[in-house]
Amino acid sequence: MDAQTGAPVDAEIFDEVALAHFIETQAEWRPVILAAARALSQQPNQGLLIPRHFHWDWTRKEAELKLLAVKFYGLGCEGKLQGIMKVETVAHSCRLPEQQGKPLVYIDYVESAPWNIKKLMGALGQPQRYRAVGTRLFEAAVLQSQEEGFRGRLGLHSLPGSEGFYINECGMTPVGRDPHKENLLWCEFTPEQAERYLAGE
Amino acid sequence: MNQKRTMTLNLTDQEMSVLDQLSVQKDLSKTALIRQALRLYQLVDARITRGEKLFFEDQDKQKAELMVL
Amino acid sequence: MKFNKDRNWLTKRAEQEDRHFISVGGLISRIDPEWQADVSSVPNVETTKTAFVRLLQLARRERRLSLEQLAQKADVDLGELVKIESDESFKPTPRTIHQLAEFLKLPAKKLMALAGLLKIKDFGLQQASVRFAARSEPVEDVSPEEHAAFEEYVKFLNEQ
Repeated sequence: MDAQTGAPVDAEIFDEVALAHFIETQAEWRPVILAAARALSQQPNQGLLIPRHFHWDWTRKEAELKLLAVKFYGLGCEGKLQGIMKVETVAHSCRLPEQQGKPLVYIDYVESAPWNIKKLMGALGQPQRYRAVGTRLFEAAVLQSQEEGFRGRLGLHSLPGSEGFYINECGMTPVGRDPHKENLLWCEFTPEQAERYLAGE
Repeated sequence: MNQKRTMTLNLTDQEMSVLDQLSVQKDLSKTALIRQALRLYQLVDARITRGEKLFFEDQDKQKAELMVL
Repeated sequence: MKFNKDRNWLTKRAEQEDRHFISVGGLISRIDPEWQADVSSVPNVETTKTAFVRLLQLARRERRLSLEQLAQKADVDLGELVKIESDESFKPTPRTIHQLAEFLKLPAKKLMALAGLLKIKDFGLQQASVRFAARSEPVEDVSPEEHAAFEEYVKFLNEQ
């Protein structure tokens, strides 16, 4: 959705993104993110937002591109990637007791271009470009889960700042903190929750 | 790329029984289950080929190496 | 894939998304609420960690030591050493830094700061680290240029 006009915009979601494209995209986003984070850190209530190291071991990801279990998504608009996502279907399964051990789509990584993130652009005094980019990617992951036969079951490790979003706005169940993943909160969708999310409740 | 092809599988009674049981347990169609199995096999194989090892760890934190594929 | 085309749905979701940082993984997610660093040290956080890793690598190779040998001589965990050199986001334990500092005859507190265990307020240290990181490359043989850069950096660390 175009942030300025509020008009919906056509975008393409493709589920095969070349690694080079991914890396290029990230490299393009990085200086903007750092600049915005710096600007944010100067505001009194935003002590949160200072990036530490960023590591994304791309040499390994190259090998992962050929794995059936892994999918890379890109949301394209204006000839550029506006958001990217990586999901996996095998390495994780459901942890909620009622669906323990059942397969799910795991969102390993999802990120919008910095110019689409309201808070970052606000700090830089610049306009937000597109809205709902992350949402569309998230939706794609849920839809994939349904298409795979996983009935919409989805899992992810939420960052501290987004727990409210995934639990309250998306309706996921917070299952517990994962000591193997920096104590991040594991959030999960049941089939019913996934349906409700897609339908818009 | 997402075009699908059909294949016939010849399985023993025991294999079919396991397939049935796992399908129910995982709430998956048999096709989806076989697909998951294939993905898992490829993923494990890729890492072992790279020189990594696969271990199981029991409740007492004892590690045992899984068979090398 | 059948995406929801309802405009109200999209608007509502957009509003929700705008109120948060929803990325998983990636640069934005590396946000630490406890890291109240000075703004001036923000761009250099990665570089000092890189300088730290390069410093270790060069110090090790100057002494012609393998990782195992270094682990043994400095009495540190080999697994940790491997992680330090290969995983950018890995934070070593204070004891390991201390042991390495002792063995390599480098000031422990500086090493801790470089490794990201302590806050850096020293602009001079940052500058020197950036220069060193830029001049050293992770290759097998230590070139004369690397050697010179290494010597200079070590001297600087010891001086202050």
